[in-house]
Amino acid sequence: MNAPAAALDLASIPERIQSEVQRAIQRSIKGVEYISSSGPALGSTPKDVLLSRGTLNLYHYRPIADEIYRVPILIVMATTNRGYILDMVPGQSFIEFLLKRGYDVYMMDWTAPKPEEKSLRMEDYVLDFIPDCVRRVQQDSGEKDVTVIGYCFGGVLSLLYGSIFNDGPMKNLICFTTPIDFREMKLFSNFSDRRYFDVDRLVDSIGNVPPEMILSSFEMLRPASRAASQVQLWENIWNDEYVKAYRMMDRWGTDTLPLAGEYFRAITKDLMWDNKLFNDTMSVGGRAANIANIKVPILHAVAEHDHIVPYDAAKHLIAKVGSSDKEEVMLKGGHVSVVAGANAVKRLWPKLDNWLGKRST
Amino acid sequence: MADKGNDPAVIWQTMIGEMEKGFNSFANQAMASPEFSKVMNQVGGATAGAQKQLGELMEKYLVSMNLPSRAQMVGMAERIQGIESQLNEIKAMLHQIHHNSLAPEGGYGAARPPRTKRPPSEGEQK
Repeated sequence: MNAPAAALDLASIPERIQSEVQRAIQRSIKGVEYISSSGPALGSTPKDVLLSRGTLNLYHYRPIADEIYRVPILIVMATTNRGYILDMVPGQSFIEFLLKRGYDVYMMDWTAPKPEEKSLRMEDYVLDFIPDCVRRVQQDSGEKDVTVIGYCFGGVLSLLYGSIFNDGPMKNLICFTTPIDFREMKLFSNFSDRRYFDVDRLVDSIGNVPPEMILSSFEMLRPASRAASQVQLWENIWNDEYVKAYRMMDRWGTDTLPLAGEYFRAITKDLMWDNKLFNDTMSVGGRAANIANIKVPILHAVAEHDHIVPYDAAKHLIAKVGSSDKEEVMLKGGHVSVVAGANAVKRLWPKLDNWLGKRST
Repeated sequence: MADKGNDPAVIWQTMIGEMEKGFNSFANQAMASPEFSKVMNQVGGATAGAQKQLGELMEKYLVSMNLPSRAQMVGMAERIQGIESQLNEIKAMLHQIHHNSLAPEGGYGAARPPRTKRPPSEGEQK
């Protein structure tokens, strides 16, 4: 940069002051609008509910392409969060993208488990909910093969399912930001240190683990980020696109689900404490769940700056599965921005379409 | 325009970003210690226990005031959710019947697009 350009341009100061005054006025107007209005409607891609079983909903999104791939997709959403992260507004919806590219899409989405569902165990998710949904997808689509996509902990459930039901009908598996080495989730690991965290007492006394507890454990990973994001929101509140994106992500981020008590107990003991998935000692309902048994084509998308599932917690997945057709793709972005938002639209989605299209005929 | 290095707005944003990073990093180091885990779980355990006891006490109080308790409201919400689920099922069935009536032959499956799509060749990839 040359010296005159680096110097403060005095001529631009009035223009800059005018711009800042306009923004300040806009902030006041838009600030009132922000408080008095609701955010954009999310998860609005037309769908039918094929199954509703307590905490589980199975959706079928209505195809919009004239011709679709033979193999349907079943998305397994993370049990801590709502599925609409994958179906934000039109133009930023992963579901809409898949439908436009000719995929037939189903999703296992979760609602808050009721107090009487506190006894749901890992077995219920892996040996009942997923197989039941796969069967219904087969019936509804008339196809035997199914591609499974798991997001975050939905990826862990998909891996457990795939390692137990390794003779089909799962044809392809895609995991987004899926941890398998839980020792490397260092802060979560420390929060649930077995010397100090009495999971039995917690579950026995409160039943389902409340969403506030899940949310605060996520927020504690980056304790200053919420305050900083609100400062940034105020600065950018004149910018409608920024506000829309902020509201979408903020609503989803704070819309955390409680976890069924027994399920949480199993996650803490088997995965956080004993790291059984990584140590190849995991079992569900007495059935061995070694991911080396997975032989189907697998794609694992990981995020370079993921603070929830750090790369070290996810990196061994591809090495440990038994598939010969396997690929890991590292993308810029964080845990959420890798699958949703402008970053994902440009990076992950085209990559996934390119990988999956060939394997969906 | 002024150079970005002299722009107060840019300086402010950079400062906020750096403060956020610095505080997060500092807090993460502190939270990685076993002492933090011990204190957090002691406080968390006590809070959970106190919340449960308070909830039970409040429930008794609301019953005495002839007001619905949280558990009763949750029960009502569950019943509404059950009704919504049944409505969704009815909606899905109606949707299916509607498609069946539109399909000339072969039932509902015939109303859906054919499963014949092939991936674009390498040259066609966007």
